[in-house]
Formats: sequence, structure tokens, C-alpha cells
Amino acid sequence: VNGRRFPTGVAAAILAAAVLAVLPFFLTDTHQYRFAFVATFFIAALGLQILTGYAGQISLGQGGFMLVGAYVTTILSVDHGWNDLATIPLAGLITGAVGFLFGFPALRLRGVYLALATFAIPIVLIALAKADWASKYTGGVGGKALPHVLSGHEAYIRTWPIAGGMFVLAWLLLRGKLGRSFRTIRESEIAAVSSGINLALTKTLAFGISAFYAGVAGSLYAIVIGFVNPDTFAVGLSLLLLIGVVVGGLGSLVGVVAGALFIEYVPLYAPDILRWVEKPLGSPLDPERAGAPAAVYGFILLLVLYAFPTGIAGLLRRAYKSLAGSSYTQRRAEYPSALPKKEKA
Amino acid sequence: MRMRFGVLAAAFAAAAAVCVTALAGAQAPGVTAHTIVIGGTFPLSGPASSYAPIPVGMKVYFTHVNASRGSDHKRGIHGRQIVWKYYDDGYSPPNTVQQTRKLVEEDHVFALFGGLGTEPQQAVTGYLNQKKVPQVFVSTGATEFGTGQTAHPWTIGWQPDYVAEGTIYGKYAAANWPTKKIGVIYQNDDYGNDYLTGLKKGLGAKSSNIITTQGFAVTDTSVAQQVAAIRASGADVIAIFATPAKTIQTYATMKALRYRPEQVILNSVSATDTFMKAALANADAATVDGSISTAYLMDPKNPKYANTPGMKLYKAQMAKWAPQADLNNGLYLYGFAKAWDVAKALSLAGKNPTRTKLMKIVRHMSWTNPLAIPGVKEKTTPGDPFPISQLKLIRFTAATGLWTEFGSLINGRSGT
Repeated sequence: VNGRRFPTGVAAAILAAAVLAVLPFFLTDTHQYRFAFVATFFIAALGLQILTGYAGQISLGQGGFMLVGAYVTTILSVDHGWNDLATIPLAGLITGAVGFLFGFPALRLRGVYLALATFAIPIVLIALAKADWASKYTGGVGGKALPHVLSGHEAYIRTWPIAGGMFVLAWLLLRGKLGRSFRTIRESEIAAVSSGINLALTKTLAFGISAFYAGVAGSLYAIVIGFVNPDTFAVGLSLLLLIGVVVGGLGSLVGVVAGALFIEYVPLYAPDILRWVEKPLGSPLDPERAGAPAAVYGFILLLVLYAFPTGIAGLLRRAYKSLAGSSYTQRRAEYPSALPKKEKA
Repeated sequence: MRMRFGVLAAAFAAAAAVCVTALAGAQAPGVTAHTIVIGGTFPLSGPASSYAPIPVGMKVYFTHVNASRGSDHKRGIHGRQIVWKYYDDGYSPPNTVQQTRKLVEEDHVFALFGGLGTEPQQAVTGYLNQKKVPQVFVSTGATEFGTGQTAHPWTIGWQPDYVAEGTIYGKYAAANWPTKKIGVIYQNDDYGNDYLTGLKKGLGAKSSNIITTQGFAVTDTSVAQQVAAIRASGADVIAIFATPAKTIQTYATMKALRYRPEQVILNSVSATDTFMKAALANADAATVDGSISTAYLMDPKNPKYANTPGMKLYKAQMAKWAPQADLNNGLYLYGFAKAWDVAKALSLAGKNPTRTKLMKIVRHMSWTNPLAIPGVKEKTTPGDPFPISQLKLIRFTAATGLWTEFGSLINGRSGT
């Protein structure tokens, strides 16, 4: 059954990799720099997709975990002379361990209650990074500058290969037994336990893997920005990442790309969009008014969720279906078991 | 395939070479025959959005310059219109970094002026200095924007730095309250610590008068514990070194705990009309009355300045270009005054301004701003990279809601 959908996926992945490889030739340095941000959001959102989209555990704490990775990289490269790229695996592993530990209290909570508990992750970690005893290492509220300033191109070629690797890793993790366990937990915990899945281990593992992704993303985030302070990782970042995953489409790894692009580009161009909308309307909207860009952002978000609740991935899937047309229907009749899972909002 | 890539790369190299040749011999980035593009980043949204009036005040002054003829009978600066581009960074370094690169690489600004916030501006200092783009008159009093000039020659601050201001309070306390015990409540970060360092420096031999220092974190929800500790210490003077919200909270807590020290010292960041109104509303007149702070710009609310040329210009232009704005909000005036310096520096940079020339001018300033308190000189030399260092002490009268200046001008950096 897997074999049937496998070639399309691989073809799409190869195409995406090819596009990403030639993209730098066509993008200005500023856009390459923005794409480096897209890459870091992509990695963090991939982790969140595994946790929320696959294992069904809502988290509002992904941005908080990014803080851990960012500080591991900053402290090692600024104070201990490490090469910044060499710190990435360690940043991922340390953050993964923190996430794994957080998974234990999370075992007792579900749904909205879990979401509220994870809300505390960025708040607590920011407070810790600002604390007196930690300031010696973190630089406190004032933050710390990293040794290098990257050009847009340098940032691009450092982030996207890693993002690609993380994508393949996610795909490999999810296609086997672990992915199946995650999905079973998402659908029914009772069914999962009765079919022999170790609930506690699987859930904490999902948190650990998700945090590992956040750690790698946070580390790259610090390298790309060249400066880290605790408030960079405020609750808003975690919310953006969750929104990115939902906009991209829950349960779709490919959709995460769209989500990451959304996180980076929509707020950036919101004032321009407002100006553009304003012209024909002659409305009194003031593009420079505080909060106006946020309103555009919110409106687009609602529109996306309202028009295609299964996210951009769902939209693409639907488009593919109607293009594939009759042959798809035929296949459906021949192989009822190959039916794609019913899309969930 | 390999071949194709080679061709492609060669084509790009050729195109790049053409662009470079086209640029050489042309004017500095951001400067055309009729315009000069400048920019900055400010928190228009988010936790620090109360600073949003600053770029608006700047815009009003630039609009005025663009509309009026200079001594050369041309509008703008040497016949060039100022194009003022500012973006919202929400006081968050990742946004500041991206918006600043947008300004430099896509909007091709000549220079950045007035960028706001210690951490956001620190986050782009490395980038701007690497690119040799001037980062001029940043809107923060962190000392390092002045002291870091060797490492960051393209960066310079504007307002008196926090250490200098703290020093003035220390000197005043040592001279006028030699035996009074001082309790300090301060924000435990670079900002609050700069003030505390200054206070101790100013007190000199009398620094043992400080009987307690109570730090709080910005994230703390309450300052009750700190105020209670200062009250218990029996301090006669309380020094509040905090951002506006926490200052208002401190006043409210003092009232709630019935703590009435003889004197209150308040850092200038919180000493504006808007925040004092809030302090009066949340505490009471008796607690707030008589607080001491410092100022270097005219207070738009103070009637004694109503007839000065600077204040008249400010009020007329604000009424013309930003009619809804609250003129008494000192942050508009701050932006307006800063823009006056920007236009002055750009004008001095001559008919063919370059970034190097601009930096040379802001490092050799010697003029007076029409909106600064009379007597305040704006002066920089290679050895003194702080444009404004003089301050005047001011005292708050709750009944009138006005700050009154007293004493003479003090240079916060003398002997430092």
C-alpha cells in the first residue's frame, strides 16, 4: 500500500530539493536571508508537526524550546570558541532531553489542558534565562551577540541543507512503527494501549523528538540573527509556529513548507498588502498605524482556515485529486484500502 | 548540465560586474538628484509600542523641511527631498535584523537614524558596521553605543547615557542630603544597573548612604516585596530606576504601604507627562509630589517655553502635519528634536553627501538644538562620543502636573 504512494512523494521531494538548490541563483541576498528564516521556522514547525499533527499533542511551547538550542549555540560559540555549526547537534540533543523530561508531566494532561500547560514552557524558560544566576552565561535581558554576521547567501547555504536533512529524518521516523504508534495515539489512546503501545514512552518520545527539532531550529535561528536575547522567544513565536503548522495542514510534512513561508512572509508584507488593498477602496486604513499589519495577518489567517480548513496541503491534495480525475476514482474502486485517510480539520 | 551551470554563473558574474560599474562614480547609496532616502526601526506594536510617537515626530519635522526653502532657496536638503522610511520591529531583534536589512538592501537607505531599543539596536550594530552603513543617533541611553566607537565606528548614540544621568542624582544627593539614607529600587538588567553604577559614582565617598538596593526582574508581576524592604530599611530617600510601567507600580505600592520617604528620585525615562498622569491616578498626589528627575529637552507642557522659536515651530508643524497627536506627549517632541539634528547633519554633509562625511560630522558636532533646554550644547569630539551630556534637575508638582527646572545645567560625563 505504501509502495503505491511512495513514488509521488519521492518525486516531489527531489523536485523540492532541486528548486531549493537553484533558488539562490534567482533570489536577492535579502530574500536568501529571509529564506534562511523560513528554514529555521520549517525545522521548528516540522518538530511541532510530529508532536501535534501526528501524535495529537497540542503544544504552545515550541518557541520556548528554541530558546534552549539558541543559548547552547550562543554560549558555546561566544564563550568557549566553538565553531557555531558544530554546536548544532549538541543544541538539538540537550533541547531534546529537556523536551523528553517535560513529556512526563504532560502525560497527565490532554487537549486544551495540555496546551495550557505547554504555554508555560516559554514563560518559564525566558524567566530562567533572565535570572540573576543565569545572566553570567546568557547575558540576561541584554542578550548576547554571536561572533559572525552572515550575508543572506551564507545564511541560506547553512540552513537549507540542514532543513532538508531534518525533513528526511522526520519522514524516515514517521513512515515506520513509530509513526504508526503516534497516529494511533492521536486517534484513540485506549485503542493504542490495547494494541500494546507503551503510551508513556511514546508520548514522551514525541515530546523529545519535537524538542530536538526545536533545538536545532533555535541554534540556527541564533546563527542567522547573530544576536540572542530571551524575549526573542516570547509566547508569540510559539503561537506563530502552531499557526504555521495549521495553515500548512495538520499531519502533512510537506505542508510545513507552506506554513514556514507563511510565518516569515505574511507579517513582512502585511503593510504592503494593506497599502495595496487601500488604494481602490480609498479606505481610511493607515498602513503605518500600530497594529494594522497584525490585523492583515489575522484576516489572512482566518481566510486560510475558513476557505481550506485542511491547510495548504489539503488544498494541494484536493487539486491533485481533481487533476488525477478518473484514474484516481478508478484506483479507489480497485484498492479500497488505499483510500487516503479522511482529512481532519 | 555542468556546462549550463558554468554559463549561468558567467552570466551572473557579468551582470554583477555591470551593476558594480554602474554604481561606481554615481552618488552615495540612497542619494539621487532629487531625493535622499533614510530609515529606522521602531516598536510600533508590541510591549514597547508606547514609543511609537517618536518616528511620527521625526516624520513631521522632515515633512516641514521638505516643504520649506532653505538658505539656498531650494526645498528639502540641498534641493533633495527627505524620504523617511520606518518599519515596525515590535522591539524584537529577529524583526529588527530583517527590517534593517530590508532598509539597507532593498530600500537602499543612505543611513539609519534614531533606531530604537538597546537590544534591537545591538542586534544590528555588527551588520551595519560590516556594511559601513551609518547607525546614527540611536534611541537608547545604553552607554556602550558611545563607548564602543573603536569597535563600531559607524554607530553613535544621542541622548545622555544612563550612567551619566545616575551620576547627576548621586552628586546632587551627596551635596544636598549628605546624611540621608538612600534606598534604591532598580530593574535588574543593563538598564537599571547602568543607573545604579552612575548613582554610586556620583555619591563618591557618600556611597555608603545607600543602605539597601532592591532589584526586580522586568517579568516580575509585583514590586511589593522590594518596596516593603526599602520601607523596612528606614530609607529617607527612594531612588526608582525602572521603566514606566514598573515606576507607576512602585508609586502605587508606596501608597498602599503608606511609605512616604522625604525624597523620591525618578529616572528621566519615566518622567514624562503621560506616565506621571498614570502615576497620579494609581497612587496619590502626596506620594508623587516633589519627585526629582532630570531633563535635557523642553517640556511641551511647560508654559515658560511656549514662546521660544523651537516650541513654536514644534507646535505649528505638529498641528499642521499630525493634527490628532497629543502635543504634550514628550515623545513626539523627542522625535522632532532628533529629526532637527538629522537634517542639520545631512545639510552639513554638503551637496554630495557620503556616508564617511556624515560620520565625520556627527563625530564633530558643535551646535544647539532649538528644542533642548536653553544652554544644553550638542557636542562630540573623537574623545567624547556622546552628543548630549548636559541635564537639568527637575521637580514635579502634583497640583499643577508640571515639572519645574531647578539648579544649573550639570554635565553628567564630566570627570568620567
